[in-house]
Amino acid sequence: MIYFDSAATTFQKPPAVAKAMEEALHTMSSPGRGGHPAAMRAAEAALTCREELAELFHAQNPERVVFTHNATHALNIAIKTLVAPGGRVVISGYEHNAVTRPLHALGAEIHVAAAPLFSPEEVLASYQRLVVPGTAAVICCHVSNVFGFIQPIEEIAKLCRERNVPFIVDASQSAGILPIDMEAMGAAFIAMPGHKGLYGPQGTGVLLCGDVQPIPLMQGGTGSQSLQQEMPDFLPDALEAGTHNMPGICGLLAGVRFLRKKGIEAIDHQERILVSLAASGLSALPGVHVFSNGNKGAQSGVLSFTQEEWDVEELGEALARQGIAVRAGLHCAPLAHQTAGSLATGTVRISFSAFNTTQEVRKFLRITESILLSKSE
Amino acid sequence: MDYYLILARSVTYAQRTQRTLSRAGIRSQIFRAPRDLTTMGCAYAIRISVSDLSEALKVLHRAGLDPVQVYLFGKGVYQEVRF
Repeated sequence: MIYFDSAATTFQKPPAVAKAMEEALHTMSSPGRGGHPAAMRAAEAALTCREELAELFHAQNPERVVFTHNATHALNIAIKTLVAPGGRVVISGYEHNAVTRPLHALGAEIHVAAAPLFSPEEVLASYQRLVVPGTAAVICCHVSNVFGFIQPIEEIAKLCRERNVPFIVDASQSAGILPIDMEAMGAAFIAMPGHKGLYGPQGTGVLLCGDVQPIPLMQGGTGSQSLQQEMPDFLPDALEAGTHNMPGICGLLAGVRFLRKKGIEAIDHQERILVSLAASGLSALPGVHVFSNGNKGAQSGVLSFTQEEWDVEELGEALARQGIAVRAGLHCAPLAHQTAGSLATGTVRISFSAFNTTQEVRKFLRITESILLSKSE
Repeated sequence: MDYYLILARSVTYAQRTQRTLSRAGIRSQIFRAPRDLTTMGCAYAIRISVSDLSEALKVLHRAGLDPVQVYLFGKGVYQEVRF
């Protein structure tokens, strides 16, 4: 199989990930739940993972690195900490349902900083118009999960600092691929999955916490202050009720070490080469519309396309039958499709990881061409 | 043998404390805090030798890890130390 669905999850993991997970199963129990070696080994591994993530993303300290089940979980904590029911929120036009659904559930007053694809200047200008005093939070995905559009989060962070509005970054498609500096941005929260660009297993996510006191989504045991019926007010315990996913955390640590060794810049560079190759190849095929920025720099390793005679789901299925895994449809991001004008059709999305090659892209292009020709014959 | 116990509110703080001390060349051991010493239940403690306390407090202060409670164990009993 050629796997081009890494924006959903990186299916191919470094071998060290599975090894670390298996070792955790055999040697670790639960951190904070005892002083015996199995519990302490788990605690050691959890802290090491927090430390390495804090270093990678310039978080204040390892306690402010909170383990979650996924990025959606992390975003829910961030949003529900900052946004009261009916609160005013400014989001980009490329947000995922992981952002819009919690806001909808809160009955938030949502303002969309809509802007054309691959135009970071217009995104910023739109935020500048909408971020006003009294805004409960500004939310922006670093990279669109549908189009790979890189949004100007550093500039939006600066705007938020100037206007004293908390900023939430959804780094689901950028963590491990683009540099992210929590301290420099002064973000209130940065949410990310562990299982995409960080190469950890599914079921892992991370919430980096700034200076805001977060409100837990869940209450329960933490292995600390057990006589108290309120959750501890300190991190990470305040947000980590219940038993930790130690195999997941150990796998995540192995994934993070893999990407740090390989280098974020090198992975990003490789993925952009693949996107460029795929975009130019697809553009040459009959009836294909590619959502691409050429080589102008505002697109990471995610690419969407449509073909005028094919339903996107049918094309996705046809590619799957030929051994190519892509994602078709709305990608849980109807707002992004609405902003880009593809809501009616959806798109076929290809997305890369460090394990993809130019040979795979060329094979994908040959197969796509043969599928398209088969219908037109 | 006498020793000091630095109380930590969670295992994460206990381990950060231990790692900070270790980087400064101060040996320590982590274990669950004796129940009598914790007013809110479930905590961890870091044990260090009597001779290391002064340097340990300086190192932890520099790291932003000032302990909330420290106990001296001597003659079979724990006694809270004010500093």
